[in-house]
Amino acid sequence: MSAQKKRTFKIEAFKHRVELDPKYAERTWKVLEHAIHEIYNHNASGLSFEELYRNAYNMVLHKYGEKLYSGLVITMSGHLKEIAKSIEDSQGGLFLEELDRKWGDHNKALQMIRDILMYMDRTFVPGNHKTPVHELGLNLWRDNIIRSGKIQTRLLDTLLDLIHRERTGEVINRSLMRNITKMLMDLGSSVYQEDFEKPFLEVSASFYSGESQQLIECCDCGEYLRKAERRLTEETERVSHYLDVKSEVKITSVVEGEMIANHMQRLVHMENSGLVNMLVDDRYEDLSRMYNLFRRVPDGLSTVRDVMTSHLRETGKQLVSDPERLKDPVDFVQHLLDEKDKYDKIISKAFNNDKSFQNALNSSFEYFINLNNRSPEFISLYVDDKLRKGLKGVSEEDVEVVLDKVMMLFRYLQEKDVFEKYYKQHLAKRLLSGKTASDDAERSMIVKLKTECGYQFTSKLEGMFTDMKTSVDTMQGFYANQYSETGDGPTLAVQVLTTGSWPTQPSAPCNLPAEILGICDKFRTYYLGTHTGRRLTWQTNMGTADIKATFGKGQKHELNVSTYQMCILMLFNSADQLTYREIEQATEIPAPDLKRCLQSLACVKGKNVLRKEPMSKDIAEDDAFYFNDKFTSKFIKVKIGTVAAQKESEPEKQETRQRVEEDRKPQIEAAIVRIMKSRRVLDHNTIVTEVTSQLQSRFLPNPVVIKKRIESLIEREFLERDKTDRKLYRYLA
Amino acid sequence: MHKLGRGHRDKVQQFMAITGSSEKAAVQALKASDWHLEGAFDIFYSQPHIRTVTDSRHLEELYNRYKDPYVDMILVDGITLLCNDLQVDPQDIVMLVVSWHMKAATMCEFSRQEFIGGLQYLGIDTIEKFRDKLSYMRSELKDEQKFREIYNFAFGWAKEKGQKSLALDTAIGMWQLLFAERHWPLVDHWCQFLQVRHNKAISRDTWSQLLEFAKTVDLQLSNYDEEGAWPYLIDEFVEYLTENGIVQRHQN
Repeated sequence: MSAQKKRTFKIEAFKHRVELDPKYAERTWKVLEHAIHEIYNHNASGLSFEELYRNAYNMVLHKYGEKLYSGLVITMSGHLKEIAKSIEDSQGGLFLEELDRKWGDHNKALQMIRDILMYMDRTFVPGNHKTPVHELGLNLWRDNIIRSGKIQTRLLDTLLDLIHRERTGEVINRSLMRNITKMLMDLGSSVYQEDFEKPFLEVSASFYSGESQQLIECCDCGEYLRKAERRLTEETERVSHYLDVKSEVKITSVVEGEMIANHMQRLVHMENSGLVNMLVDDRYEDLSRMYNLFRRVPDGLSTVRDVMTSHLRETGKQLVSDPERLKDPVDFVQHLLDEKDKYDKIISKAFNNDKSFQNALNSSFEYFINLNNRSPEFISLYVDDKLRKGLKGVSEEDVEVVLDKVMMLFRYLQEKDVFEKYYKQHLAKRLLSGKTASDDAERSMIVKLKTECGYQFTSKLEGMFTDMKTSVDTMQGFYANQYSETGDGPTLAVQVLTTGSWPTQPSAPCNLPAEILGICDKFRTYYLGTHTGRRLTWQTNMGTADIKATFGKGQKHELNVSTYQMCILMLFNSADQLTYREIEQATEIPAPDLKRCLQSLACVKGKNVLRKEPMSKDIAEDDAFYFNDKFTSKFIKVKIGTVAAQKESEPEKQETRQRVEEDRKPQIEAAIVRIMKSRRVLDHNTIVTEVTSQLQSRFLPNPVVIKKRIESLIEREFLERDKTDRKLYRYLA
Repeated sequence: MHKLGRGHRDKVQQFMAITGSSEKAAVQALKASDWHLEGAFDIFYSQPHIRTVTDSRHLEELYNRYKDPYVDMILVDGITLLCNDLQVDPQDIVMLVVSWHMKAATMCEFSRQEFIGGLQYLGIDTIEKFRDKLSYMRSELKDEQKFREIYNFAFGWAKEKGQKSLALDTAIGMWQLLFAERHWPLVDHWCQFLQVRHNKAISRDTWSQLLEFAKTVDLQLSNYDEEGAWPYLIDEFVEYLTENGIVQRHQN
């Protein structure tokens, strides 16, 4: 056996290039060209994908890619031109349908063609910077169909016309529209924008401009807004159905601009139906709609807010200057609270609790409440009224609610120190006459004031409560101490008031009747015995007395009177008739108070325990007074004393204001000294600014007053002017 | 002066009153003596002074001529005599200048130190020399700086002893006198305004600020600045002028 050489297989490349004969290339191309025709003629079923693919592959492989590509372009363009013609020829409504159908066809064809030419797409196209087949197909469609002279305008006009018809109420073929717009988007967003969206927006603008002009002439504000809202909803819906989602914000802004922004002022100020009317009538739905629509346009909300503010300020100003309203302080404040409630409701229900509206509300209230310088007094009177009787039977939470609402008004006050003065006065009256309905409510109010203004504001008020409690204890101690004696004598109930805490009233002395002097002195002795070093003064203008009186036919009554009135009445135990002058001399009650007391004892029906001659209402020096034997009343207990706190008379008001001004001077000076001590050298305007900001939680200092205080401090050598710059002040140690 | 504490300021005043020195010299001397007056005097008098030598005997004689018989001061009669000798009206403003040089505390009287010290400072020891010096003193009123000093001095001098403010009548008299020397056209309106609207004494600050006002603000009040930290009386005066149409203001 001979050894045989093993043969290994070797595969070698062709030693010669296998050239594709150009004729072969041409033939191959023709096959493909034919295929494209067939595809466009809906005859694709007879084609073999595999064969066509192979053909295309070969062409590219043998470097005939260019021929293939350009052939494709020409062939496809040719078909598209035919297609264009058929679309152009379609009549009226069929235009879009034809376009849509042909587009569908084209896409199908394009997909098949791309598949067939996949190899070229992947290898030849990138390397030669050609447009890929799919994109090419789209571009050719765009250039030959969409942008063809006859089709371009007609397409746009048709689309716009359909939209217009839909806007005027007709039903259109939405899915067809969708297809068309989708087609445009597929061709590229710039095609969609240039060929459709831009003109669409322009046309829409003029449509809505026209519509808004028309509507504004014939609709009232609420109606108009409803229609505008409807249009906005419609446009949004339109976009979702057959436009590109990015068009939404553009078209809505057109509608907002034309329908709302351009007519803002006219809408807001429309007579009988504008913003002001809506506010007055609490039309929450309309207001809410206005808010939601206006917030979409620039300056929309600020327009609404400004009109609301000026309306509020106007009504507020009228409210606080109306003399009718000012007659009843409680009513006045109630109106303020009602107004605040109304607007709080509007802001929460219609304005989305918008903070800027809340601020506008606050600043308006602050503005007009302070226009009337009696506001602090009136608010205190309102609280007085509520703490007296108004809150009886009201639950604790409701009490809190009312007081909280009042605190809101309180915060608006610029002159809080004036309020403090009146509150003290009114509280004193309530405490001393035992008229406060609920101790808890009183305390609650104090706590609220303390939270708002700090300890200093309420320390004296709390002192007043303490005095009342202490007095109760003192009286217990006093009576425990009196072993015998009490028996038939008058019973005494004393409230000992610490001078600093209670509102200062000049205590006019009067002569107390002998019948009570005894026990009064006993008390004085008792008290001073346990509290050495103190001084007691009877405040005869603030007390009350219960007197048992027997009249002509033996009817007994118990009279509840003021201390002054008691002094007067007791005189009639030893005289049947007394003139004014005699009464004045005996009691030493100051004339204006005396006259008032006598009037309430003699001139008021049902309370006339005294008889006056002559019967006139005014008290003259020579008038004579008699004990009225014939007095009758169906009540056993008759109340003749001075009544609840009332708003001050003009002279009283002046006095209080003067006292407030006087109290402010040292506060201003203290602020100036504090500031200068730390800053050493300051110019005039800065001092004024700093002082104002330091004191603003209590009151708004007047710059002229500040200047006068500075000059006073210069006088007293706390400050001096700088030698070189007379506008500067220096602190002197 | 403003850097000194109140106690020190008093001492400086005293020192100056007694020695007739300037404020600067007083402060120097007191500082050097650690603020003891006696020590300061020593320091002061031991320094050589460059000044016209006056004959202290003559000065004594002069003083005694005018001095009141019962009190060691020159009072009204003495001043009348002095003015006579000087051939000058007692109401003449030059007497104010004299008082200023003497650092007189109150009008219508001179203490021994004030009189003698003042004359020493001026280098005067005879009536003739005094008379000659008068025209010089009158001319001093024309100097801006000195006029201001004299004007401000006049406040303390013209007011009642122990009072902080200057009585209105006296103030008006002084203003008439002073603004005759340095013309201010609004002075009459100012005085009238005060009598009608204020009718109370004048504070030192208002007094001194008025001069500034007269100097800086023009007659049309066009450069009057409401924020200019003027005393409130001057603000009210401006209002008064505009309200009564005396000045037409253009609000800018």
